[in-house]
Amino acid sequence: MPSLPRMAFGALAALAALSPAVAADTKVFNWTTGWGNYDADGMLERPVITCNGQFPWPDVRVNKGDTVLIYLTNGFNDRNTSLHLHGLFQRGTNQMDGPPGVTQCPIGPGDTFLYNFTVDSNVGTYWYHSHTAGQYQDGFRGVFIIEDDAFPYHYDYDIPLQIGEWYHDTTDVLIPTFMNLYNPTGAEPIPQNFILNSTRNLTWNVEPDKTYLLRLVNTGGFVSQYFWIEDHNMTVVEVDGVYTEQNTTDMIYITTAQRYSVLVHTKNDTSRNFAIMNKVDDTMLDVVPSDLELNSTSYMVYNSSAALPKQNIVQELEFLDDFYLVPYEKQEVLPEPDYTITVDVMMDNLISGVNYAFFNNLTWTSPKVPTLLTVLSAGENATDASIYGSNVNAFVLEKDEVIELVLNNRDTGTHPFHLHGHTFQALVRDREYNADLGEQVHLYNSSDHPAFPEYPMIRDTLYVRPQSNFVIRFKADNPGVWFFHCHIEWHLLQGLAIVLIEDPLGIQQNASQALSDNHRKCCQNLGVPIEGNAAGNSADFFDLAGENVQEKSIPPGFTKKGIVAMFFSCLAGVLGLVTIGVYGLMGMNNAEERVMADFDISPDEVLQEASRDDDNTNHSSVEKEVALETVETKH
Amino acid sequence: MGSSNKVFNVAVFFVVFRECLEAVVIVSVLLSFLKQSIGSQDMAVYKRLRLQVWVGVAAGLVICLAIGGGFIGAYYALDNDIFGSAEDLWEGIFCMIATVMISVMGIAMLRVNKMQAKWRVKIARALVEIPERKRDRFKIGALSRRYAMFLLPFITVLREGLEAVVFVAGAGITTQGSSATAYPLPVVVGLIAGSAVGFVIYYGTSQSSLQVFLVVSTCILYLISAGLFSRGAWYFENYRFNKATGGDASESGDGNGSYNIRKAVYHVNCCNPELDNGWDIFNALLGWQNTGYLSSMLCYNIYWLVLMIVLFLMMFEEKRGHLPFCRSLTLRQLSPSYWIKNKKKNELTARQRHELFEKVEQLEFNDQGMINEQRRVEASS
Repeated sequence: MPSLPRMAFGALAALAALSPAVAADTKVFNWTTGWGNYDADGMLERPVITCNGQFPWPDVRVNKGDTVLIYLTNGFNDRNTSLHLHGLFQRGTNQMDGPPGVTQCPIGPGDTFLYNFTVDSNVGTYWYHSHTAGQYQDGFRGVFIIEDDAFPYHYDYDIPLQIGEWYHDTTDVLIPTFMNLYNPTGAEPIPQNFILNSTRNLTWNVEPDKTYLLRLVNTGGFVSQYFWIEDHNMTVVEVDGVYTEQNTTDMIYITTAQRYSVLVHTKNDTSRNFAIMNKVDDTMLDVVPSDLELNSTSYMVYNSSAALPKQNIVQELEFLDDFYLVPYEKQEVLPEPDYTITVDVMMDNLISGVNYAFFNNLTWTSPKVPTLLTVLSAGENATDASIYGSNVNAFVLEKDEVIELVLNNRDTGTHPFHLHGHTFQALVRDREYNADLGEQVHLYNSSDHPAFPEYPMIRDTLYVRPQSNFVIRFKADNPGVWFFHCHIEWHLLQGLAIVLIEDPLGIQQNASQALSDNHRKCCQNLGVPIEGNAAGNSADFFDLAGENVQEKSIPPGFTKKGIVAMFFSCLAGVLGLVTIGVYGLMGMNNAEERVMADFDISPDEVLQEASRDDDNTNHSSVEKEVALETVETKH
Repeated sequence: MGSSNKVFNVAVFFVVFRECLEAVVIVSVLLSFLKQSIGSQDMAVYKRLRLQVWVGVAAGLVICLAIGGGFIGAYYALDNDIFGSAEDLWEGIFCMIATVMISVMGIAMLRVNKMQAKWRVKIARALVEIPERKRDRFKIGALSRRYAMFLLPFITVLREGLEAVVFVAGAGITTQGSSATAYPLPVVVGLIAGSAVGFVIYYGTSQSSLQVFLVVSTCILYLISAGLFSRGAWYFENYRFNKATGGDASESGDGNGSYNIRKAVYHVNCCNPELDNGWDIFNALLGWQNTGYLSSMLCYNIYWLVLMIVLFLMMFEEKRGHLPFCRSLTLRQLSPSYWIKNKKKNELTARQRHELFEKVEQLEFNDQGMINEQRRVEASS
């Protein structure tokens, strides 16, 4: 596929505010995946995943209440695929959520999966992406906007803006070197560029004195970015599909998968143009290569005949702390939890030497039967978490319980965590650990923690600071199997995920949750069992023999092998010393001859030496006197 | 680590002490050996050989300070770690060289002392004598024989000194909140402590009987040498792993991922000779590493095995005059250089043997005279 011409930003603007209210509608999309080439940063054309042969993938707009039918055809011939609509609650349609192994069977080559759902409980800015290993970093991603007549603020134009990072290699190249013995620290691959709307140096043509709703979506798979516009402030009005009270700032910090809708009011003056900046949070990079441009500059153009602006440098990165945003519909802190889940995040190596990520020492390992399919086939047993496997990290939640999730991050990195099927209240996002207090990691302490906000911020993707913690609450009012995972794609590959199984009996009882025929067929085509526990055993749900499990841990100290090696080394040493002793104390025949041979001295030399001794008796007597002195002092 | 200490950086002390200790053991064993085996017989040769040792030490020190200064200068001025990723490679090579030298030296020391005292002196003299034929003077073999007492201390001090300089510089960079004022004292104290151990070895051993001393000190030398051989293999393994990981592994301390798990026979998350104070002494003397790679463990065991085989063969040959099962074969003949350099010519003919025997008789007479003189002096005093 030839690369598309750079799309000007303004071309994507839709006159949303002017569009009349429409009745609930059915929107149908036919998408087929494939491969093409694309040059996003003007440096290298690389293979990308295309949609019907096109790249980038389309931005989708639907209205609240619409029914959406997405026919996703796997156009690859060597790999599976899937589609997740990030942030949608999928109430009653859990199997449309997307993550393979969790809510669905993967879609095999040539198969078509129908994602059929109604957007009645979400409004605002969302996005969609493949939930199959690394695919969205190869380009399978787009913005998904649900328009709402009841949007509480005025704006003139609505502009979606994707922010992200760009690699020159495909994940086919990057994953094997990332999940590798020779990457023992789990250092994430370093991107080559940081992009906006699949390009660099984007141009956004603006009109003076207008209010733009900028829908900022981080569709990257790795880094958080700072975003600011020279000499313009931004008023946050929505995060992750949750309208907020207006909050004006100069700079946004946006992690992967987060969304911020901001109002930008343009100036009256059209004499000059301004820089739009996005800058990577370079603390997330393992190394910063000298040729990596950390600041990327795009252009907000009032006047196309005026000069383009230079990059805008700021002295300090003072960004909006999203923790203090207040939802437009204020909601008090949920009551004391019925169930508290505490998870610790860690990165470590397993026996192959590959670095994995863990929640409570478990790295998520795909079960043989996707968890939702186990729920649907397990009957009464569905409420027992053990049938979902020992390596899935499954938690069963009861209907309408208030759930508190305490996350202690023992890792030294910042991680954005995403919960499928819900938004949640952010009650605590603690400070970083303090080395001066002797802290190794700052864990959550339920009896001594920062006060909860009166009206906590609500969103679906929240970052935790390095070696710190966060606490979130939500009500388990959406029966389904919901993935909770780090939205750094590299870390999801390393298994940083848990599975929340919400009201499993409720799922079984709801007819709309029943496996669709199309879904069933996709499973059958790939030979994935549609019934049974995590090991695929449908006769005895408590027999997990043969389930997928993570690699063994590295033993903490000496193993048998090590003890044997140590024993033999010690034995060898002792025997060696004894041998030296025996040899050293043993007499030697013809010692002189042998030593001369050792030193490669010809007998003539010694003979000469000896005869010289005879000649120089005077000379040697001097030496002898000296020798005598030493002998004397010894006595 | 005592990061807040402004006067005494403990890490620096241990680095200096460890590196010093290894060099000091070797040097003091050599000095003690010279004193015991030659010093009581021929002062001139003894002094000359002793001077060689000290010149070797001094030359090693000067060169390592110069090179080390260059490294540190380059590091701070150019922000360029010259040793950098190749550090482990160099360490490994140095270790292997040192192993070969100590191994050869150890057996030679044992054999030399099996000779009668007067012969030791004769041969020592022949060794240090400059060959009369000019073309022999600069032969590598002749040179290394003549300056053996220079070479081993030189290489040892150079290696240990470089390690110390690089590690001290490294400790300064990596120890959090390290302050320049915390440097000089631990370096000095480390040197003093190391030297003190050397003095104890030297005086302790030079008091004991020659044979016991030799056996004990040769044992120590071979322990060090086996450790060095194993460490050399370890460094090569580490070098390969670090190269493959881009140098990440060495940053991550003792934990998982700091070593190549697939080649490790054992690993303990502690007792790292490069990070944990104290364990570096076991590293210096016995070759301890907190990761035992298959190669390093094998090397350690193979080293001892080969040494034992060689010693057994030597014992057999010394008793029977030939190797087991091969009546006409001696150990020397197994060496390729025996054939290449045609060393056969150096073997004594019957005539030479006879001549030598006569000379020995003469020497006997001379030496007898000397001992008589000695007695006279003792009597008069």
